[in-house]
Amino acid sequence: MTATSEPEAALGVLPRADGSAKYSHAGYTVTAAVNGPIEAQRKDENPYEAHVDVIVRPAAGVGGTRERHLESILQSSLSHIILIKNFPRSLIQIVLQVEDSPENDYVNTKLVQGNLNFAIMPALFQTAVLALLSAGVPMRATATATAVAVVFHDGVKRTVVDPSPREIEIARSVHVLAFTSHDELLLAESEGDFIVKEWDEVYETAKKICCHSAPADDGMQMALDEEAAAGPDMRHFLRSTMESKVAADLYWK
Amino acid sequence: MASTTRPTLLPGDEIPSSLIPSHPTKPLRLGPGLRHLPPSQILPTVSGQLITLPQKSSMWIEYNSSRYIPTQSDLVIGTILRSGPDFYYVLLSPFTPPATLPHLAFEGATKKTRPQLNPGSLVYARVTLANKHMDPEVECVSATTGKADGLGPLTNGGMVFDVSLGFARRLLMAKSKEEGKIEVLELLGGEEGKLSFETAVGRNGKVWIGSEDIKTVVIVGRALKETDEKKLGVEAQRKLVRKLIKEMK
Repeated sequence: MTATSEPEAALGVLPRADGSAKYSHAGYTVTAAVNGPIEAQRKDENPYEAHVDVIVRPAAGVGGTRERHLESILQSSLSHIILIKNFPRSLIQIVLQVEDSPENDYVNTKLVQGNLNFAIMPALFQTAVLALLSAGVPMRATATATAVAVVFHDGVKRTVVDPSPREIEIARSVHVLAFTSHDELLLAESEGDFIVKEWDEVYETAKKICCHSAPADDGMQMALDEEAAAGPDMRHFLRSTMESKVAADLYWK
Repeated sequence: MASTTRPTLLPGDEIPSSLIPSHPTKPLRLGPGLRHLPPSQILPTVSGQLITLPQKSSMWIEYNSSRYIPTQSDLVIGTILRSGPDFYYVLLSPFTPPATLPHLAFEGATKKTRPQLNPGSLVYARVTLANKHMDPEVECVSATTGKADGLGPLTNGGMVFDVSLGFARRLLMAKSKEEGKIEVLELLGGEEGKLSFETAVGRNGKVWIGSEDIKTVVIVGRALKETDEKKLGVEAQRKLVRKLIKEMK
């Protein structure tokens, strides 16, 4: 069962931060705060580019190895879209607080150290991008992310978009992919056993979700849209969210 | 979307070439939120509305944010952090490296007679140096004329209020009433409120309100902050001013 809920987002939810966003999709709810560019600590100072600091806070307890790993993955992919060369010796801080994650009815939800939860990555990534846009941090491009699982069920192979915890449990492989708004692959993390052909299928599925441009009005496109109904149209979602934010900001124009 | 004259753009979006102003003699000027990738690509770096002025051959992205990035010749309100041997260290926005303000960059200042500013006092200054590799520099005097032109220490009672950068920009517009759609200041100082106060607006999202009467300072500051936060239109601003004046009496 895929959580087929449409993604939802609210920008500027935290008045004190430079930029913030709350995003919920596929059972996950994440709030992000972005501050920057601000003065970096001496040890983080880089004379040529800004230091991007990502902090992931789990819904309960304090972060551990798992969160550190998520942080390092997010940090390296976000550094690619932020114009870090514009702000040498400074710091761009992104704090991601997980508020809600879907419960797994089948297995014990006790957190296992070192067990990476891939399904949460797209939510974290998308929230970070929305918060960066809300803060007006100069960026090269925007980006969208999705998670895809390859599940074998009764001997039939299926690719599942935005898998539930149960599906991740039984999946043979789980993949997280992110694309920039220039259709470039930004992030590709995989876990489990898979062959190149499967990965290619996953890539195509993810690309369709992340890079499918806004729907046009002619009949041809409509037919294609129905085909692509397998997942949400992330790019269109991002654009409409930002358009409403800009329209609200520039109400006086 | 591309058909409108003021499209909403996201970072990295392509700008329709029909919208890029092409002037026969004037070079193209890029404002905030745009970057030029040689040879001829122009890309937005923030999300906002693209504004073009074909007569002036300039274009920029209109957007709102809250973190100030120093830009040359911006008017800003700074807080003195401490005094060095030759400079004051001035804070333009929280958690950023302080800007430097030379002791002699005041009207009529010499080594012997210069304004003594204590940590915490406020100055209205102009950014003279904004370079990503160096800390910003500000001055309180025009380098060419030697006149203060309204810049200098902000004294004789007043208070600073934080507003968003977009709102500060609207306040700084030459016609903030017509173009920026801000009427609160005119209303409070005019027939409606009959309050007497002075203001200084910093591009770094700070507004200083000065007046003999503390009540006036608070009323004007609250009116500005509420207009900004609740995104009030002209009609709502009038209502707000009427309400505040009533409360004061």
